[in-house]
Amino acid sequence: MSRLFRSPLLEVNVMLFVLIISYIALGLFTGNTETEPGTMSGGAIWGWLFGFFFLSFAIAMVAVIGGIGGGVLFTPFMLAFTPVDSLIIRATGLIVAMFSGLISTGPFMKGGLANLRISIFCAAAYGVGAFAGAQGAIIVAQHLGEIGEGLVRLALGVILASLAVYFLVGGKKIEWPEVKKVDAFTKWLKLSQPYYEISLNKVIDYPLTRAAWVIFAIVGVGLLSGFFGLGAGWAIVPAQNVIMGVPLKVAAANSGVLLGMGDCIGVWPYLLMGAIIPIFAAPWLVGQVLGGLLGAQILIRVKAGFVRFLLIGFMFFSCFGLLSKGLGMLGVIGPVPNWLNGLVFLIIFSAVTRSIIKFTRSES
Amino acid sequence: MSAQETPKIPPVQIVYGAIVYWITILACLICMIGPVISVALPDNNVLNPYKLFTVIFEGKDAQTVWLEVGGEFPGGHFYLKHLTYGDGFTQFGLALGCSVALWALIAAAIAYISDKVYIYVILSLWVAFLVALSMLGIVGMH
Repeated sequence: MSRLFRSPLLEVNVMLFVLIISYIALGLFTGNTETEPGTMSGGAIWGWLFGFFFLSFAIAMVAVIGGIGGGVLFTPFMLAFTPVDSLIIRATGLIVAMFSGLISTGPFMKGGLANLRISIFCAAAYGVGAFAGAQGAIIVAQHLGEIGEGLVRLALGVILASLAVYFLVGGKKIEWPEVKKVDAFTKWLKLSQPYYEISLNKVIDYPLTRAAWVIFAIVGVGLLSGFFGLGAGWAIVPAQNVIMGVPLKVAAANSGVLLGMGDCIGVWPYLLMGAIIPIFAAPWLVGQVLGGLLGAQILIRVKAGFVRFLLIGFMFFSCFGLLSKGLGMLGVIGPVPNWLNGLVFLIIFSAVTRSIIKFTRSES
Repeated sequence: MSAQETPKIPPVQIVYGAIVYWITILACLICMIGPVISVALPDNNVLNPYKLFTVIFEGKDAQTVWLEVGGEFPGGHFYLKHLTYGDGFTQFGLALGCSVALWALIAAAIAYISDKVYIYVILSLWVAFLVALSMLGIVGMH
């Protein structure tokens, strides 16, 4: 019982309480309001606000188990299957990615797994890229119109397909990289910081290398993240792990801290030009924070590796939606019939089910 | 890899993590309450929420959304003048959350000064400067 009144459950409970009261109040106010013709009914407003929160909450929860960032799921799905303007979606996507990073920052810092020095060092480069990427997105949206919208969807479709394949095959990651030579610049930065590794019951001190090279990689990652409104943990983790020799778990923890820190730079161009619409973005933010907190508290203990396959299937389906919508906007193809959407969904769903069955058998 | 005594977590990390964590939670609470004020008092908003979603789902771009629903875009920091508005208060929550790294990095820089780790004082201030620059919109290219 006393656990409920201690951090982090205390703040989780307070937030849940405020959330429930808020949605009850929203229901009461929207239910009693007479709306003008041509505007949305109160019930529909409540439905959207709750739907956005619920989707964001679900994305945050499954992202924790699946090890795939919320932004990578949110932005492609919304771009593929909703008529909402791409800049508004990408701006909100950056909020989703950023707040999932921000809420994980506290526990990672307190636990000692994340390394603030590496995070600040990388953010110095990531921020420049994210800021330039966000500015680029605004320029493209203002000057290329419908063609720009189509091209953005096509480019994101290709990126998402590559990512889904990358997640499927695992990518080149090394749990404990072996660093043979530490260069003078990396040594001067004093980036290493020992931490207690609970799974090995020992303290890990890790030498690092090639810090100068990681700067270039991280600027590129920031550019991509700022432009497309994606979280970029999928690129930040291997950049630290493969180039610098950061242990995998530390790199993953740093990536959350870095996204929270770096996207504070990338998100402002969107906020200042009005692409972040407060009432539209707020439920997504709330869902990420609560879902991230609860996901870490509850679901991280659940053995649910199969969720990864669901998420990869979700990414492939979003990818199909993005490519078909992008080609449609460019006038290359006509509207995709519903039966084709259904067929692609069925094929992906069958492949996902098959993979889950195979995975469950191999686990047991 | 080597086994040693359990290392002490640098205080600067604890400070940074705590500031980010609590401000994020505060921003989240504000973003829960803001939409309630918005729908309770529809005229007490820059953007009327009952008109807003219709226009967003018509696929209109951000400028058009602000123009059609609110007259014109009042600027990203409009919450400074309209803090009592539903969307002004929500925007304040968003802005607070989106600036959290600035406050936490300033505190981290101070902690690094007391630890005499000057390279990270400079790097922390550099990233904080980038956040501040981005917030002020001085170098917008559009």
